[in-house]
Amino acid sequence: MNNIEQFQYDNKIVRAFGIASFVFALVGMLVGLIMALQMVMPELNLGPYLTFGRLRPLHTNAVIFAFVGNGIFMGVYYSLQRLVKARMWSDKLSWIHFWLWQVVILCAAITLPLGLTTSGEYSELIWPLDILITVVWVIFGVNMFGTILTRRESHLYVAIWFYIATWVTVAVLHIVRSLEMPVSWTESYPIFSGVQEALVQWWYGHNAVAFFLTTPYLGMMYYFLPKAANRPVFSYKLSIIHFWALIFIYIWAGPHHLLYTSLPDWVQSLGTVFSIMLIAPSWGGMLNGLLTLRGAWDRVANDPVLKFMVVAVIAYGMATFEGPMLSIKSVNAISHFTDWTIAHVHVGALGWNGFLTFGVLYWLWPRMYRTELYSKQLANVHFWVGTLGIIFYAVPLYFAGWTQALMWKEFTPEGTLAWGNFLDTVKQILPMYWLRVVGGTLFFVGTIIGVYNLYKTGAKGQFMANEATEAPARERRPAPLRAGEHWHRWIEGRPMQMLLWSTILIAIGGIVQIVPMVFVESQIPKISTVQPYTPLELTGRDLYIREGCVGCHSQMIRPFRDETERYGEYSKSGEYIYDRPFLWGSKRTGPDLWRQGGKYPDSWHYNHMLDPTTMSPGSIMPAYPHMLEDKLDLSDLPAKINVLRKLGTPYSKDFEKYAIGNAREQAQKIAKNLAEQGVKDQNIEDKEIVAMIAYLQRLGTDIKIHKQ
Amino acid sequence: MYKYLLESIDGIQWFGIGSLLIFFCTFCFAAIRAFISPKEDMDRMARMPLED
Repeated sequence: MNNIEQFQYDNKIVRAFGIASFVFALVGMLVGLIMALQMVMPELNLGPYLTFGRLRPLHTNAVIFAFVGNGIFMGVYYSLQRLVKARMWSDKLSWIHFWLWQVVILCAAITLPLGLTTSGEYSELIWPLDILITVVWVIFGVNMFGTILTRRESHLYVAIWFYIATWVTVAVLHIVRSLEMPVSWTESYPIFSGVQEALVQWWYGHNAVAFFLTTPYLGMMYYFLPKAANRPVFSYKLSIIHFWALIFIYIWAGPHHLLYTSLPDWVQSLGTVFSIMLIAPSWGGMLNGLLTLRGAWDRVANDPVLKFMVVAVIAYGMATFEGPMLSIKSVNAISHFTDWTIAHVHVGALGWNGFLTFGVLYWLWPRMYRTELYSKQLANVHFWVGTLGIIFYAVPLYFAGWTQALMWKEFTPEGTLAWGNFLDTVKQILPMYWLRVVGGTLFFVGTIIGVYNLYKTGAKGQFMANEATEAPARERRPAPLRAGEHWHRWIEGRPMQMLLWSTILIAIGGIVQIVPMVFVESQIPKISTVQPYTPLELTGRDLYIREGCVGCHSQMIRPFRDETERYGEYSKSGEYIYDRPFLWGSKRTGPDLWRQGGKYPDSWHYNHMLDPTTMSPGSIMPAYPHMLEDKLDLSDLPAKINVLRKLGTPYSKDFEKYAIGNAREQAQKIAKNLAEQGVKDQNIEDKEIVAMIAYLQRLGTDIKIHKQ
Repeated sequence: MYKYLLESIDGIQWFGIGSLLIFFCTFCFAAIRAFISPKEDMDRMARMPLED
């Protein structure tokens, strides 16, 4: 028998991450609620900093990285210590990790409303923050592996496998997605362009959902659900298959975000096939979670912790059934760009991540404060208000998505679009957007009740910062192997081998999809008329990115009859080769803009940006009057041209020297057009609006046949 | 056009088959590994969260 060693678990760091998690839950949800209101009351877009386009990345980043991110660290720091029977390897690293992560969040909260964004969904943060995130992630990894390597328990429980896979995959995703060349401290252009960047983005974006919102939470489910139910997981064998199958299949599914786009068909098909296969491991995991409660269902009715966890696991099952269904091309043809996607992700975010976090918090807080939960009744109120919130959020948006998609696709017997004005399809679903506000408010109120309950629990208890415990020292000599056991224990009993195999498995999917695309891109037949953006258009494009227009407008016309009828010729991959970053978008709250160029006179855009309702009565788009007043800044154009040339855009030699002059010349022309069309403002050629007009008038015009 | 693009990659026919094979092997590895493990080991592992 080994010596019994006495040591202490660190609860203080767990509490810190827990507090950060629920504080940022409130922040993220409040921003979401404001945005939901902006959809029905556009006057709430308080420009320039608090418009929908700028708040949208703030909302997604706050929920994913601040609320769920801190929730992950809370769950990992609590469960890992106990599963390996060791205190976190370094208290110092734990706290550096905590504070640096909060610094990243704070910087995101400042930079995103300022319009400093790369525009990639869930990877919007500017490059210095990308580096800071990498540093934090390495610190987290060192601390986690340090703890695992100095463990007293030789076996690694399945939850730890999920944590290891999460760590390595997020590291790979973050690094590859952040490959960009800086222009200044706040600006950069991505290494990849057009179709290639779209694939890398959605390989990243989908797997951010998979390996940030799912795998670490599955690890937490495998630890906290058995704890709360006080019985072991239903089938440990199933959890092993769940793990290996899930991490391997998930990484391939990204292209389902790009169905019917200009992405090559074979990549789309691969994404669809693997997405459908994902049902098996996902539902295996869900059933494993639910069946853990076999024989304990009577307790579910009385225990709010179990209630939250059960609904979380059911929401996981619903979202992971719906996801593969949405990846079927014929379903995706209807769902994509509509509110169906928004409903789908919120079932996952509110139900799975939200409710599992609340369940864990309600379980953890009384234990760490050595007391009972302040009010079981309040927790039950939170549960029911939150559940109603999810229903009121998701159901109206499902109807909104279906309604709008069918309206987009409806033709009259004469063969014209039944709803030719896009705005009419938006007005039709505004009542559903109001119901979404009701749902969001309910969920938010529930969260406030939860935070109050946890605060009161903490206030009446006594916090146990260091939890004393004891365990036998780990045997350095490997335990004798049983028959048939050696080959898998070589991987699963050894964290570094586990890390290596997880890396190999997740790398295969990325390599098979991305490498041929990088290779193929050089072979894409160039369209001879497609030219790089002019300096003024480039500046306008960066303003489009700053304002987050991509949050509501796509630039990707799919090859459907209704889309070519409504927007024009469908998009070709060769048209996007100079698009850094790509701006295809994933939601159409407004119409697609890819063939916008030349559709309206310059003055239309001028008036539309000043007040969208003058050109489109009833429009819910924010107004951008500041673009008519703010001075056009062209100072960084030479640096931008230089960087883009290095990345492969064929600007001629020394073009950067003439870029500003070229931009001024084009600005003068647009100002002249505007004057001729009745816009009388002084010095308009020096305002941001001319760059925006230049960009919008260029969109999709390269392959238009001009009438002589 | 896609056919042209695909044909320009050497050995492209192996990409799909390779992917499927790798997945099949991974799945078999996980399934066999799970099913040959002694029950007492599995039970012991499953109880780990309850014993801290």
